[in-house]
Amino acid sequence: MANDLIDKAISRRNVLKGIALGGAAVGASGAIGSVLAACSPAAPTGPIKVGVLTDVTGAFGVVGKSNVETAQFTVDEINAAGGVLGRQLQLVVGDSASSTDTAATVARQLVEKDKVDFVIGTVTSATREAVKGIICTTGKTLMVIPTSYEGGDCTTNMWVVGAVPNQQVDPMVAYALEKGAKTFYCCGADYSYPRNMIAQFKKQVEAAGGKVVGEDYYALTDTDVAPLISKALAANADCIFDVTILPLSVQFLKGVVGGGFKGVHMSPLYDEGVNSLFGADVAGMISAQDFFSSGAHDEFTTKEMAAYKTKYPAGIFASSFNSAAWYRGIYMWAAAAAKAGAVDLAKINTACDSITLDKGFGGKAAMKAGTRHCSVPMQLGEMQADGSVKILKDLGVVDPTGQCA
Amino acid sequence: MSPETVRIIFDTLSVASILVLLVLGMAVIVGMMRIFNLCQGEFVMLGAVVAYLASVWLGSSLLGIILAPIFVGLFGSVLERLVIRRFYGSPAGALLATFALGFVIREVVRALMTQQGAPVPAPLPGNFEFMGANLPVWRLVIMIVTITVVALAYFGLARSAIGLRVRATLDNRELAEATGISTSRMYAGTYAVGAGLAGFAGAMIVPGRILYPDLGIDNLIPMFIAVMTGGLGTIEGPLLGAFALGVPSGLMPALINPVFAQVVVIVGAIVFMRFRPAGLVSR
Repeated sequence: MANDLIDKAISRRNVLKGIALGGAAVGASGAIGSVLAACSPAAPTGPIKVGVLTDVTGAFGVVGKSNVETAQFTVDEINAAGGVLGRQLQLVVGDSASSTDTAATVARQLVEKDKVDFVIGTVTSATREAVKGIICTTGKTLMVIPTSYEGGDCTTNMWVVGAVPNQQVDPMVAYALEKGAKTFYCCGADYSYPRNMIAQFKKQVEAAGGKVVGEDYYALTDTDVAPLISKALAANADCIFDVTILPLSVQFLKGVVGGGFKGVHMSPLYDEGVNSLFGADVAGMISAQDFFSSGAHDEFTTKEMAAYKTKYPAGIFASSFNSAAWYRGIYMWAAAAAKAGAVDLAKINTACDSITLDKGFGGKAAMKAGTRHCSVPMQLGEMQADGSVKILKDLGVVDPTGQCA
Repeated sequence: MSPETVRIIFDTLSVASILVLLVLGMAVIVGMMRIFNLCQGEFVMLGAVVAYLASVWLGSSLLGIILAPIFVGLFGSVLERLVIRRFYGSPAGALLATFALGFVIREVVRALMTQQGAPVPAPLPGNFEFMGANLPVWRLVIMIVTITVVALAYFGLARSAIGLRVRATLDNRELAEATGISTSRMYAGTYAVGAGLAGFAGAMIVPGRILYPDLGIDNLIPMFIAVMTGGLGTIEGPLLGAFALGVPSGLMPALINPVFAQVVVIVGAIVFMRFRPAGLVSR
């Protein structure tokens, strides 16, 4: 009964609003007096709503807060340059609160209540899995994934601008082989990202004639990786490929370094955003990322870094926070919308397939046609004791392989 | 003995002693007082916070380890006065109240953190050689400290005169009161000791790792399983439970896939409790 009343109130309000809008449309076109103009839906003129779906609170709150800052930085820049199709971009932040259940609720709100024009976000793969059906499939809304992840997600209406395993792993394998490594030990937390990264790593190592002497995982509920450290040391490999995650990755690194490991230690999860957590033991760790904030940059990146620092003096701009990918993702959509000439799902989807961005943090990037994934600039770096990164090699733009083709 | 075997034995004892140390405070609050204290994990985490702050502000995480039981104990006594004592008669109420407290503590700490974690340096970093194996010094320290603290707590609570009064209060409050014991002070004091011990454990285990808001709650389930395996009503029960659970937790990952090791250990504990519901040590 009560619900009926609310329904009526809402529908009456909607009707009133509809009449008001209709009147405005007629008024606007009244000068010309064209009946046709009043009948066809007028092009929307308000701001374009950018749905930001990230973990502003909870376990990944630090990452989520940074994501919102990066998104704000990016849309402010686009707006200052005139917006997209003459319209301003406006953020609608949905806090998934580091919970897949909350993420599903918030995703529904962004799509159904806020009616955002596209969604960018998710921090973890678990969240992406929880919301992609709601946003992309039933919500018929375009979604940009701005994270490096395990790869292989080819959902319609979804576009990925972060790195997939081959883009991070292949350069690392090449480096280890260059350093003369023959035997390899792999370990990580037990979920899809580490497992897929290690699968790619093994594939590359074995193709090059190297030998994987051990592969171990720990449960996400574990609180102590002492046994894993012992296994890694006992394997006595030339190279450890480490996909352990925070918080236990700190114990693992310290254990392996303290245990006297002298080979090549590599992980896809290290950069300036997290190095300080590991202390001086981080020295020598090798990683490949789409952006390292230390080291020399091109003119554009240097300028943007300074602008970011001015806007967010305490802000962290780092690959581990997916910062460069968030920036890239919003520009990718803006470029696709401009190319499509309208904020229209089908047209933007078509346009997305072949977008090239000449500028971005770390260099140019381009969607690889037919793959829903992105060719991104990659760098190979060596972590330093003070938390900075020494760039060993600028890898240029690296294509994603094996995605959705 | 090969260096690998030495390492496996060391890891096993080390994992077990960390669990015993973590469970000690819970043995007092859950085991003896029978309050299902769901913010026990947060006491552990707050101890780690003290160690972290001491390492940053005073330049010594060792000082933090000494201060942690004092601060967290005081914090526990405040909580007891404000909240916990209202729920001595209602276990379900205590469960919910302590869950809420834990949640608030965790989120406040999270709100204050600007990184995913905060590193705490080990007071004694580095490794030592033993029979060819290279072993971390700090984990040896944890083992020795655990044995010492467990002995002190056992004699303090199970053998001393004050311990007798504590046990009398917990056993039969009215009778204890009739004999002139201030039972409300006994309850408050015992709760504070349980909190302080948890804080101490947190400060001991965090060096060489990072402090993060979920540090406590991540350890809560193994701690509870240890207490239930050991049995309520005594202090030695939960500690034996922790050891009985810790040894396979440390040993199994070396022998089988570490992902399954935890499952095997927990299933083992469940089966054990089916046949001995009162736990290892029952009164």
